Amino acid sequence: MLVPIVVLIAFAFNAGKSTVVWTGFSFRWFEKVVSNRNILDALQVSLIVALASAAVSTAIGSVAAVAITRRSFPGRDLLGAALAAPLVLPEIVLGVALLVFMSFAGMILGYTTLIIGHVLVSIPFATLIVRAAASSLDPRLENAAADLGANEWQTFRMVTLPQLMPSIFTAFILSATLSFDNLVMSTFTSGVGTTTLPLRIYSMLKLGITPEINALGALMVLANVTILLLVMGRYLPLMLKTNRR
Amino acid sequence: MRRERREQLQTGLMLTPSVLLLGLFILLPLCVVFAYSFALRDPYGAVLPGFTLDNYRELVQGVYLRVLMNSFTLAAWTTALCLLIGYPVAYFIAFKAGRAAPALLLLLLIPFWINFLIRISAWVVLLGRGGLINKALVLSGVIDEPIGMLGTVGATLVGMVYAFLPLAVFPIYAALTPIDRRLMEAGADLGAGPAETFARVTLPLSLPGVLAAALFVFVPSMGVFAIPVLLGGGKDIILGNLIVQLFLEFRNIPVGAAVAILLLVFSGLGILLYMRALRRVEAMK
Repeated sequence: MLVPIVVLIAFAFNAGKSTVVWTGFSFRWFEKVVSNRNILDALQVSLIVALASAAVSTAIGSVAAVAITRRSFPGRDLLGAALAAPLVLPEIVLGVALLVFMSFAGMILGYTTLIIGHVLVSIPFATLIVRAAASSLDPRLENAAADLGANEWQTFRMVTLPQLMPSIFTAFILSATLSFDNLVMSTFTSGVGTTTLPLRIYSMLKLGITPEINALGALMVLANVTILLLVMGRYLPLMLKTNRR
Repeated sequence: MRRERREQLQTGLMLTPSVLLLGLFILLPLCVVFAYSFALRDPYGAVLPGFTLDNYRELVQGVYLRVLMNSFTLAAWTTALCLLIGYPVAYFIAFKAGRAAPALLLLLLIPFWINFLIRISAWVVLLGRGGLINKALVLSGVIDEPIGMLGTVGATLVGMVYAFLPLAVFPIYAALTPIDRRLMEAGADLGAGPAETFARVTLPLSLPGVLAAALFVFVPSMGVFAIPVLLGGGKDIILGNLIVQLFLEFRNIPVGAAVAILLLVFSGLGILLYMRALRRVEAMK
Protein backbone atom coordinates (compact mmCIF):
# COMPACT_ATOMS: atom_id res chain seq x y z
CA MET A 1 0.00 0.00 0.00
CA LEU A 2 2.86 2.37 0.73
CA VAL A 3 5.22 1.73 -2.21
CA PRO A 4 3.52 4.19 -4.59
CA ILE A 5 3.77 6.95 -1.98
CA VAL A 6 7.45 6.26 -1.31
CA VAL A 7 8.28 6.40 -5.04
CA LEU A 8 6.33 9.64 -5.36
CA ILE A 9 8.24 11.27 -2.52
CA ALA A 10 11.61 10.04 -3.83
CA PHE A 11 11.11 11.67 -7.22
CA ALA A 12 10.16 14.96 -5.58
CA PHE A 13 13.91 15.35 -5.01
CA ASN A 14 14.81 14.69 -8.65
CA ALA A 15 16.91 17.42 -10.28
CA GLY A 16 15.53 16.80 -13.76
CA LYS A 17 12.10 17.54 -15.17
CA SER A 18 11.13 13.89 -15.33
CA THR A 19 9.14 11.94 -12.78
CA VAL A 20 10.66 8.64 -13.93
CA VAL A 21 14.33 9.23 -14.84
CA TRP A 22 16.61 10.02 -11.91
CA THR A 23 19.14 12.72 -12.76
CA GLY A 24 20.36 13.91 -9.39
CA PHE A 25 19.30 15.29 -6.05
CA SER A 26 17.79 18.74 -5.72
CA PHE A 27 15.31 20.84 -3.78
CA ARG A 28 14.32 22.95 -6.78
CA TRP A 29 10.79 21.52 -7.05
CA PHE A 30 10.12 22.34 -3.43
CA GLU A 31 11.25 25.89 -4.06
CA LYS A 32 8.92 26.02 -7.01
CA VAL A 33 5.97 24.86 -4.93
CA VAL A 34 6.44 27.38 -2.13
CA SER A 35 6.78 30.22 -4.64
CA ASN A 36 3.73 29.18 -6.69
CA ARG A 37 1.09 31.86 -6.09
CA ASN A 38 -1.78 29.59 -7.21
CA ILE A 39 -0.85 26.83 -4.81
CA LEU A 40 -0.41 29.20 -1.88
CA ASP A 41 -3.78 30.85 -2.53
CA ALA A 42 -5.45 27.45 -2.76
CA LEU A 43 -3.74 26.36 0.46
CA GLN A 44 -5.11 29.43 2.24
CA VAL A 45 -8.66 28.74 0.98
CA SER A 46 -8.38 25.09 2.03
CA LEU A 47 -7.17 25.98 5.52
CA ILE A 48 -9.93 28.56 6.09
CA VAL A 49 -12.63 26.18 4.88
CA ALA A 50 -11.22 23.22 6.84
CA LEU A 51 -11.10 25.11 10.15
CA ALA A 52 -14.46 26.84 9.70
CA SER A 53 -16.34 23.76 8.54
CA ALA A 54 -14.78 21.60 11.26
CA ALA A 55 -15.81 24.13 13.91
CA VAL A 56 -19.42 24.29 12.64
CA SER A 57 -19.65 20.55 12.12
CA THR A 58 -18.26 19.70 15.53
CA ALA A 59 -20.49 22.24 17.29
CA ILE A 60 -23.73 21.15 15.60
CA GLY A 61 -22.78 17.48 15.74
CA SER A 62 -21.84 17.51 19.44
CA VAL A 63 -25.01 19.32 20.52
CA ALA A 64 -27.12 16.89 18.47
CA ALA A 65 -25.18 13.92 19.84
CA VAL A 66 -25.74 15.02 23.45
CA ALA A 67 -29.45 15.62 22.76
CA ILE A 68 -29.85 12.22 21.11
CA THR A 69 -28.15 10.30 23.91
CA ARG A 70 -29.48 12.34 26.85
CA ARG A 71 -32.96 13.56 25.97
CA SER A 72 -36.03 11.76 24.79
CA PHE A 73 -38.05 13.41 22.06
CA PRO A 74 -40.25 12.25 19.20
CA GLY A 75 -38.25 11.26 16.13
CA ARG A 76 -35.04 10.62 18.02
CA ASP A 77 -34.05 7.54 16.03
CA LEU A 78 -34.99 9.29 12.80
CA LEU A 79 -32.69 12.23 13.56
CA GLY A 80 -29.88 9.86 14.47
CA ALA A 81 -30.26 8.03 11.18
CA ALA A 82 -30.63 11.26 9.19
CA LEU A 83 -27.39 12.65 10.62
CA ALA A 84 -25.59 9.49 9.47
CA ALA A 85 -27.28 9.54 6.06
CA PRO A 86 -24.56 11.48 4.18
CA LEU A 87 -22.33 8.45 4.84
CA VAL A 88 -24.35 6.23 2.51
CA LEU A 89 -25.62 8.84 0.06
CA PRO A 90 -23.24 9.37 -2.85
CA GLU A 91 -21.35 12.57 -2.12
CA ILE A 92 -21.63 13.64 -5.74
CA VAL A 93 -25.43 13.68 -5.46
CA LEU A 94 -25.29 15.82 -2.32
CA GLY A 95 -22.90 18.10 -4.19
CA VAL A 96 -25.10 18.67 -7.23
CA ALA A 97 -28.16 19.00 -5.02
CA LEU A 98 -26.46 21.76 -3.09
CA LEU A 99 -25.26 23.45 -6.30
CA VAL A 100 -28.73 23.41 -7.84
CA PHE A 101 -30.30 24.62 -4.61
CA MET A 102 -27.79 27.45 -4.17
CA SER A 103 -28.33 28.76 -7.67
CA PHE A 104 -32.09 28.32 -7.21
CA ALA A 105 -31.87 30.40 -4.03
CA GLY A 106 -29.65 32.96 -5.78
CA MET A 107 -26.63 32.36 -3.56
CA ILE A 108 -23.20 33.09 -5.01
CA LEU A 109 -20.71 30.23 -4.81
CA GLY A 110 -17.84 30.97 -2.47
CA TYR A 111 -16.66 30.41 1.08
CA THR A 112 -20.18 30.06 2.51
CA THR A 113 -21.25 27.37 0.06
CA LEU A 114 -17.95 25.51 0.42
CA ILE A 115 -18.23 25.51 4.20
CA ILE A 116 -21.87 24.31 4.13
CA GLY A 117 -20.92 21.51 1.73
CA HIS A 118 -18.00 20.39 3.82
CA VAL A 119 -20.11 20.44 6.99
CA LEU A 120 -22.50 17.98 5.28
CA VAL A 121 -19.58 15.69 4.49
CA SER A 122 -18.10 15.69 7.98
CA ILE A 123 -21.16 15.90 10.24
CA PRO A 124 -21.92 12.14 10.24
CA PHE A 125 -18.44 11.43 11.57
CA ALA A 126 -18.52 14.24 14.14
CA THR A 127 -21.93 13.14 15.44
CA LEU A 128 -21.07 9.44 15.59
CA ILE A 129 -17.81 10.05 17.48
CA VAL A 130 -19.39 12.28 20.13
CA ARG A 131 -22.47 10.01 20.38
CA ALA A 132 -20.28 7.01 21.12
CA ALA A 133 -18.55 8.93 23.91
CA ALA A 134 -21.77 10.43 25.33
CA SER A 135 -23.53 7.08 25.52
CA SER A 136 -20.69 5.55 27.54
CA LEU A 137 -20.72 8.28 30.21
CA ASP A 138 -21.55 7.21 33.73
CA PRO A 139 -24.80 9.02 34.76
CA ARG A 140 -23.89 8.52 38.43
CA LEU A 141 -21.19 11.17 38.07
CA GLU A 142 -23.77 13.76 37.06
CA ASN A 143 -26.11 12.66 39.84
CA ALA A 144 -23.26 13.02 42.29
CA ALA A 145 -22.58 16.55 41.06
CA ALA A 146 -26.25 17.43 41.49
CA ASP A 147 -26.23 15.93 44.99
CA LEU A 148 -23.24 18.09 45.83
CA GLY A 149 -25.29 21.15 44.98
CA ALA A 150 -24.24 21.94 41.41
CA ASN A 151 -26.96 23.33 39.20
CA GLU A 152 -27.67 21.95 35.75
CA TRP A 153 -25.30 24.26 33.91
CA GLN A 154 -22.48 23.75 36.43
CA THR A 155 -22.89 19.98 36.16
CA PHE A 156 -22.69 20.15 32.41
CA ARG A 157 -19.70 22.47 32.34
CA MET A 158 -17.68 20.84 35.09
CA VAL A 159 -18.62 17.16 34.80
CA THR A 160 -20.14 16.27 31.42
CA LEU A 161 -18.18 18.53 29.10
CA PRO A 162 -14.68 17.62 30.35
CA GLN A 163 -15.49 13.95 29.82
CA LEU A 164 -16.61 14.64 26.27
CA MET A 165 -13.67 16.88 25.38
CA PRO A 166 -11.37 14.15 23.94
CA SER A 167 -14.05 12.96 21.54
CA ILE A 168 -15.03 16.51 20.56
CA PHE A 169 -11.39 17.19 19.80
CA THR A 170 -11.13 14.01 17.71
CA ALA A 171 -14.31 14.97 15.85
CA PHE A 172 -12.81 18.40 15.07
CA ILE A 173 -9.53 16.99 13.74
CA LEU A 174 -11.25 14.34 11.65
CA SER A 175 -13.70 16.91 10.23
CA ALA A 176 -10.89 19.29 9.35
CA THR A 177 -8.95 16.47 7.62
CA LEU A 178 -11.99 15.36 5.64
CA SER A 179 -12.57 18.93 4.52
CA PHE A 180 -8.93 19.52 3.63
CA ASP A 181 -8.86 16.44 1.39
CA ASN A 182 -12.27 16.92 -0.16
CA LEU A 183 -12.52 17.04 -3.95
CA VAL A 184 -16.05 15.94 -4.88
CA MET A 185 -18.06 18.38 -2.78
CA SER A 186 -15.65 21.23 -3.59
CA THR A 187 -16.08 20.61 -7.32
CA PHE A 188 -19.68 21.75 -7.04
CA THR A 189 -19.58 24.32 -4.26
CA SER A 190 -16.45 26.39 -4.90
CA GLY A 191 -16.71 29.66 -6.74
CA VAL A 192 -14.40 32.09 -8.49
CA GLY A 193 -11.39 32.79 -6.27
CA THR A 194 -12.15 30.01 -3.80
CA THR A 195 -10.29 27.15 -5.47
CA THR A 196 -9.26 24.67 -2.81
CA LEU A 197 -5.95 22.81 -2.84
CA PRO A 198 -7.38 19.47 -4.05
CA LEU A 199 -9.18 21.28 -6.88
CA ARG A 200 -5.90 22.98 -7.85
CA ILE A 201 -4.02 19.66 -7.76
CA TYR A 202 -6.72 17.99 -9.83
CA SER A 203 -6.47 20.62 -12.56
CA MET A 204 -2.66 20.39 -12.49
CA LEU A 205 -2.85 16.59 -12.76
CA LYS A 206 -5.16 16.76 -15.75
CA LEU A 207 -2.44 18.64 -17.63
CA GLY A 208 0.15 16.02 -16.79
CA ILE A 209 2.32 15.12 -13.87
CA THR A 210 5.44 17.12 -13.01
CA PRO A 211 7.93 16.82 -10.13
CA GLU A 212 6.23 19.91 -8.73
CA ILE A 213 3.20 17.74 -7.91
CA ASN A 214 5.51 15.16 -6.36
CA ALA A 215 7.04 17.86 -4.16
CA LEU A 216 3.62 19.19 -3.18
CA GLY A 217 2.54 15.63 -2.40
CA ALA A 218 5.62 15.07 -0.27
CA LEU A 219 4.90 18.26 1.70
CA MET A 220 1.28 17.21 2.24
CA VAL A 221 2.34 13.76 3.44
CA LEU A 222 4.74 15.44 5.86
CA ALA A 223 1.98 17.75 7.13
CA ASN A 224 -0.45 14.85 7.56
CA VAL A 225 2.03 12.74 9.49
CA THR A 226 2.86 15.71 11.73
CA ILE A 227 -0.82 16.32 12.50
CA LEU A 228 -1.34 12.60 13.13
CA LEU A 229 1.56 12.52 15.58
CA LEU A 230 0.42 15.73 17.29
CA VAL A 231 -3.10 14.33 17.68
CA MET A 232 -1.76 11.04 18.99
CA GLY A 233 0.48 12.94 21.40
CA ARG A 234 -2.40 15.01 22.71
CA TYR A 235 -5.14 12.42 22.48
CA LEU A 236 -3.38 9.52 24.17
CA PRO A 237 -2.74 11.26 27.51
CA LEU A 238 -6.36 12.50 27.49
CA MET A 239 -7.58 9.00 26.83
CA LEU A 240 -5.49 7.59 29.65
CA LYS A 241 -6.76 10.30 31.98
CA THR A 242 -10.42 9.57 31.29
CA ASN A 243 -9.88 5.85 31.63
CA ARG A 244 -8.30 6.22 35.02
CA ARG A 245 -11.44 7.55 36.73
CA MET B 1 -44.30 21.24 35.59
CA ARG B 2 -42.23 24.36 34.96
CA ARG B 3 -39.05 22.32 35.02
CA GLU B 4 -40.46 19.95 32.43
CA ARG B 5 -41.37 22.80 30.11
CA ARG B 6 -37.93 24.28 30.46
CA GLU B 7 -36.35 20.97 29.62
CA GLN B 8 -38.51 20.61 26.53
CA LEU B 9 -37.53 24.09 25.42
CA GLN B 10 -33.87 23.25 25.96
CA THR B 11 -34.13 20.03 23.96
CA GLY B 12 -35.79 21.97 21.16
CA LEU B 13 -32.98 24.51 21.15
CA MET B 14 -30.37 21.74 21.05
CA LEU B 15 -32.03 20.14 18.06
CA THR B 16 -32.65 23.28 16.01
CA PRO B 17 -29.24 23.57 14.32
CA SER B 18 -28.99 19.96 13.15
CA VAL B 19 -32.60 19.77 11.98
CA LEU B 20 -32.20 23.07 10.10
CA LEU B 21 -28.97 21.87 8.51
CA LEU B 22 -30.44 18.56 7.34
CA GLY B 23 -33.72 20.06 6.15
CA LEU B 24 -32.33 23.12 4.45
CA PHE B 25 -29.20 21.69 2.86
CA ILE B 26 -29.99 18.02 2.21
CA LEU B 27 -33.72 17.40 2.10
CA LEU B 28 -34.78 20.58 0.34
CA PRO B 29 -31.95 20.47 -2.27
CA LEU B 30 -32.72 16.83 -3.05
CA CYS B 31 -36.38 17.81 -3.58
CA VAL B 32 -35.31 20.60 -5.94
CA VAL B 33 -33.13 18.15 -7.91
CA PHE B 34 -36.03 15.72 -8.06
CA ALA B 35 -38.32 18.44 -9.40
CA TYR B 36 -35.68 19.61 -11.92
CA SER B 37 -35.30 16.09 -13.26
CA PHE B 38 -38.82 16.44 -14.70
CA ALA B 39 -38.33 20.03 -15.87
CA LEU B 40 -38.06 21.38 -19.42
CA ARG B 41 -35.06 23.20 -20.80
CA ASP B 42 -34.85 26.09 -23.25
CA PRO B 43 -32.20 26.05 -26.02
CA TYR B 44 -29.89 28.30 -23.96
CA GLY B 45 -29.74 25.91 -21.03
CA ALA B 46 -32.13 27.64 -18.66
CA VAL B 47 -34.52 25.47 -16.72
CA LEU B 48 -38.19 25.95 -17.59
CA PRO B 49 -40.98 24.85 -15.29
CA GLY B 50 -43.03 21.95 -16.56
CA PHE B 51 -43.37 18.24 -16.42
CA THR B 52 -41.75 15.81 -18.83
CA LEU B 53 -40.25 12.36 -18.73
CA ASP B 54 -37.93 13.22 -21.62
CA ASN B 55 -34.90 13.61 -19.34
CA TYR B 56 -35.25 10.05 -18.14
CA ARG B 57 -36.10 8.85 -21.64
CA GLU B 58 -32.82 10.36 -22.84
CA LEU B 59 -30.95 8.30 -20.26
CA VAL B 60 -31.95 4.96 -21.70
CA GLN B 61 -30.68 5.92 -25.16
CA GLY B 62 -27.37 4.97 -26.79
CA VAL B 63 -24.68 7.17 -25.25
CA TYR B 64 -26.10 7.38 -21.75
CA LEU B 65 -26.97 3.71 -21.61
CA ARG B 66 -23.32 2.90 -22.33
CA VAL B 67 -22.25 5.19 -19.50
CA LEU B 68 -24.63 3.34 -17.18
CA MET B 69 -23.24 -0.02 -18.23
CA ASN B 70 -19.66 1.27 -17.86
CA SER B 71 -20.29 2.50 -14.32
CA PHE B 72 -22.00 -0.66 -13.33
CA THR B 73 -19.27 -2.91 -14.72
CA LEU B 74 -16.49 -0.82 -13.20
CA ALA B 75 -18.18 -0.70 -9.78
CA ALA B 76 -18.87 -4.45 -9.90
CA TRP B 77 -15.27 -5.29 -10.82
CA THR B 78 -13.92 -2.94 -8.16
CA THR B 79 -16.14 -4.52 -5.53
CA ALA B 80 -15.25 -8.07 -6.59
CA LEU B 81 -11.50 -7.36 -6.60
CA CYS B 82 -11.62 -5.50 -3.28
CA LEU B 83 -13.42 -8.45 -1.66
CA LEU B 84 -11.08 -11.02 -3.24
CA ILE B 85 -7.97 -9.15 -2.09
CA GLY B 86 -9.45 -7.72 1.10
CA TYR B 87 -10.73 -10.99 2.55
CA PRO B 88 -7.36 -12.79 2.74
CA VAL B 89 -5.75 -9.61 4.10
CA ALA B 90 -8.41 -9.25 6.81
CA TYR B 91 -8.19 -12.99 7.55
CA PHE B 92 -4.43 -12.79 7.92
CA ILE B 93 -4.60 -9.76 10.25
CA ALA B 94 -7.38 -11.32 12.33
CA PHE B 95 -6.00 -14.83 12.79
CA LYS B 96 -2.37 -15.09 11.72
CA ALA B 97 -0.68 -11.74 12.39
CA GLY B 98 -0.69 -12.08 16.17
CA ARG B 99 1.11 -9.17 17.79
CA ALA B 100 1.78 -7.47 14.47
CA ALA B 101 -1.97 -6.96 13.91
CA PRO B 102 -2.28 -3.38 15.27
CA ALA B 103 0.74 -2.29 13.23
CA LEU B 104 -0.70 -3.83 10.07
CA LEU B 105 -4.04 -2.10 10.65
CA LEU B 106 -2.25 1.21 11.11
CA LEU B 107 -0.35 0.59 7.87
CA LEU B 108 -3.68 0.18 6.09
CA LEU B 109 -4.97 3.37 7.68
CA ILE B 110 -2.03 5.59 6.70
CA PRO B 111 -3.08 5.97 3.04
CA PHE B 112 -6.38 7.34 4.39
CA TRP B 113 -4.46 10.23 5.84
CA ILE B 114 -2.75 11.02 2.56
CA ASN B 115 -4.62 13.07 0.04
CA PHE B 116 -6.53 10.91 -2.38
CA LEU B 117 -5.21 12.82 -5.43
CA ILE B 118 -1.63 12.41 -4.29
CA ARG B 119 -2.19 8.66 -4.01
CA ILE B 120 -3.66 8.50 -7.49
CA SER B 121 -0.87 10.62 -8.98
CA ALA B 122 1.60 8.15 -7.50
CA TRP B 123 -0.02 5.50 -9.69
CA VAL B 124 0.12 7.79 -12.72
CA VAL B 125 3.90 7.80 -12.27
CA LEU B 126 4.20 4.07 -11.57
CA LEU B 127 2.07 2.97 -14.51
CA GLY B 128 3.58 5.43 -17.02
CA ARG B 129 5.51 4.35 -20.10
CA GLY B 130 8.84 5.01 -18.37
CA GLY B 131 7.49 4.08 -14.94
CA LEU B 132 8.86 1.54 -12.52
CA ILE B 133 6.44 -1.23 -13.43
CA ASN B 134 7.29 -1.05 -17.12
CA LYS B 135 11.01 -0.95 -16.32
CA ALA B 136 10.77 -3.97 -14.05
CA LEU B 137 8.83 -5.90 -16.68
CA VAL B 138 11.37 -5.07 -19.40
CA LEU B 139 14.34 -5.91 -17.16
CA SER B 140 12.85 -9.23 -16.14
CA GLY B 141 12.24 -10.07 -19.78
CA VAL B 142 8.46 -10.39 -19.55
CA ILE B 143 8.00 -7.79 -22.27
CA ASP B 144 10.40 -6.44 -24.88
CA GLU B 145 9.49 -2.76 -24.72
CA PRO B 146 7.37 -0.57 -22.44
CA ILE B 147 3.64 -0.97 -22.95
CA GLY B 148 1.06 1.79 -22.54
CA MET B 149 -0.78 0.97 -19.36
CA LEU B 150 -2.13 4.44 -18.60
CA GLY B 151 -5.41 5.22 -20.24
CA THR B 152 -6.69 1.67 -20.05
CA VAL B 153 -9.54 0.20 -18.05
CA GLY B 154 -6.94 -1.85 -16.18
CA ALA B 155 -5.24 1.30 -14.91
CA THR B 156 -8.58 2.72 -13.75
CA LEU B 157 -9.29 -0.53 -11.95
CA VAL B 158 -5.89 -0.51 -10.22
CA GLY B 159 -6.58 3.02 -8.95
CA MET B 160 -10.10 2.14 -7.82
CA VAL B 161 -8.97 -0.96 -5.92
CA TYR B 162 -6.10 0.97 -4.34
CA ALA B 163 -8.47 3.72 -3.23
CA PHE B 164 -11.22 1.47 -1.85
CA LEU B 165 -9.34 -1.54 -0.47
CA PRO B 166 -9.19 -0.27 3.15
CA LEU B 167 -12.98 0.19 3.08
CA ALA B 168 -13.28 -3.53 2.31
CA VAL B 169 -10.68 -4.79 4.78
CA PHE B 170 -12.04 -3.05 7.89
CA PRO B 171 -15.61 -4.41 7.96
CA ILE B 172 -14.40 -7.93 7.15
CA TYR B 173 -11.75 -7.69 9.85
CA ALA B 174 -14.37 -6.44 12.32
CA ALA B 175 -16.59 -9.44 11.49
CA LEU B 176 -13.74 -11.96 11.72
CA THR B 177 -12.18 -11.00 15.06
CA PRO B 178 -15.14 -11.84 17.32
CA ILE B 179 -15.48 -15.35 15.84
CA ASP B 180 -14.95 -17.89 18.57
CA ARG B 181 -11.89 -19.92 17.64
CA ARG B 182 -13.34 -22.92 19.42
CA LEU B 183 -15.93 -23.14 16.65
CA MET B 184 -13.14 -23.57 14.11
CA GLU B 185 -11.43 -26.14 16.32
CA ALA B 186 -14.73 -27.98 16.68
CA GLY B 187 -15.00 -28.12 12.89
CA ALA B 188 -11.52 -29.66 12.71
CA ASP B 189 -12.32 -32.12 15.51
CA LEU B 190 -15.40 -33.26 13.66
CA GLY B 191 -13.18 -34.26 10.76
CA ALA B 192 -13.44 -31.24 8.47
CA GLY B 193 -10.30 -30.21 6.61
CA PRO B 194 -9.13 -26.58 6.71
CA ALA B 195 -10.98 -25.82 3.47
CA GLU B 196 -14.24 -27.29 4.71
CA THR B 197 -13.94 -25.57 8.09
CA PHE B 198 -13.45 -22.29 6.28
CA ALA B 199 -16.33 -22.82 3.87
CA ARG B 200 -18.80 -24.05 6.49
CA VAL B 201 -17.79 -22.18 9.64
CA THR B 202 -15.62 -19.12 9.12
CA LEU B 203 -17.05 -17.78 5.86
CA PRO B 204 -20.73 -17.92 6.87
CA LEU B 205 -19.96 -16.26 10.19
CA SER B 206 -18.10 -13.43 8.49
CA LEU B 207 -20.74 -12.84 5.80
CA PRO B 208 -22.24 -9.71 7.44
CA GLY B 209 -18.81 -8.09 7.24
CA VAL B 210 -18.43 -9.12 3.61
CA LEU B 211 -21.82 -7.60 2.81
CA ALA B 212 -20.94 -4.35 4.56
CA ALA B 213 -17.64 -4.25 2.68
CA ALA B 214 -19.44 -4.73 -0.64
CA LEU B 215 -21.82 -1.86 0.18
CA PHE B 216 -19.02 0.47 1.32
CA VAL B 217 -17.10 -0.14 -1.91
CA PHE B 218 -19.93 -0.38 -4.42
CA VAL B 219 -21.87 2.80 -3.54
CA PRO B 220 -18.98 5.28 -3.67
CA SER B 221 -17.37 3.63 -6.69
CA MET B 222 -20.47 4.40 -8.76
CA GLY B 223 -19.99 8.13 -8.16
CA VAL B 224 -16.23 8.43 -8.64
CA PHE B 225 -15.05 10.82 -11.34
CA ALA B 226 -11.39 11.66 -10.81
CA ILE B 227 -9.87 8.17 -11.13
CA PRO B 228 -11.24 7.35 -14.62
CA VAL B 229 -10.04 10.76 -15.87
CA LEU B 230 -6.54 10.58 -14.41
CA LEU B 231 -5.73 6.89 -14.87
CA GLY B 232 -8.18 5.80 -17.56
CA GLY B 233 -7.53 8.80 -19.79
CA GLY B 234 -11.18 9.83 -19.55
CA LYS B 235 -12.15 7.44 -22.33
CA ASP B 236 -14.60 5.32 -20.41
CA ILE B 237 -16.99 7.83 -18.94
CA ILE B 238 -18.90 6.72 -15.86
CA LEU B 239 -21.87 8.22 -14.01
CA GLY B 240 -19.69 10.50 -11.89
CA ASN B 241 -18.03 12.07 -14.95
CA LEU B 242 -21.39 12.42 -16.62
CA ILE B 243 -22.83 14.36 -13.69
CA VAL B 244 -19.81 16.69 -13.58
CA GLN B 245 -20.00 17.29 -17.34
CA LEU B 246 -23.74 17.81 -17.48
CA PHE B 247 -23.74 20.28 -14.59
CA LEU B 248 -20.49 22.16 -14.96
CA GLU B 249 -19.67 21.96 -18.67
CA PHE B 250 -22.83 21.42 -20.73
CA ARG B 251 -25.15 23.13 -18.21
CA ASN B 252 -27.81 20.59 -19.04
CA ILE B 253 -29.32 20.65 -15.58
CA PRO B 254 -32.55 18.66 -16.15
CA VAL B 255 -30.74 15.64 -17.61
CA GLY B 256 -28.01 16.02 -14.98
CA ALA B 257 -30.67 16.02 -12.29
CA ALA B 258 -32.14 12.84 -13.76
CA VAL B 259 -28.70 11.18 -13.64
CA ALA B 260 -28.26 12.25 -10.01
CA ILE B 261 -31.67 10.85 -9.08
CA LEU B 262 -30.77 7.61 -10.87
CA LEU B 263 -27.53 7.35 -8.89
CA LEU B 264 -29.48 8.00 -5.71
CA VAL B 265 -31.93 5.22 -6.60
CA PHE B 266 -29.04 2.82 -7.30
CA SER B 267 -27.49 3.57 -3.92
CA GLY B 268 -30.85 3.15 -2.22
CA LEU B 269 -31.29 -0.21 -3.95
CA GLY B 270 -27.80 -1.20 -2.83
CA ILE B 271 -28.66 -0.38 0.78
CA LEU B 272 -31.96 -2.26 0.57
CA LEU B 273 -30.26 -5.32 -0.92
CA TYR B 274 -27.66 -5.15 1.81
CA MET B 275 -30.28 -5.03 4.55
CA ARG B 276 -32.27 -7.90 3.06
CA ALA B 277 -29.16 -10.06 2.64
CA LEU B 278 -28.09 -9.20 6.17
CA ARG B 279 -31.46 -10.30 7.55
CA ARG B 280 -31.21 -13.58 5.65
CA VAL B 281 -27.71 -14.20 7.00
CA GLU B 282 -28.89 -13.44 10.54
CA ALA B 283 -31.82 -15.81 10.10
CA MET B 284 -29.45 -18.57 8.98
CA LYS B 285 -27.58 -18.52 12.28
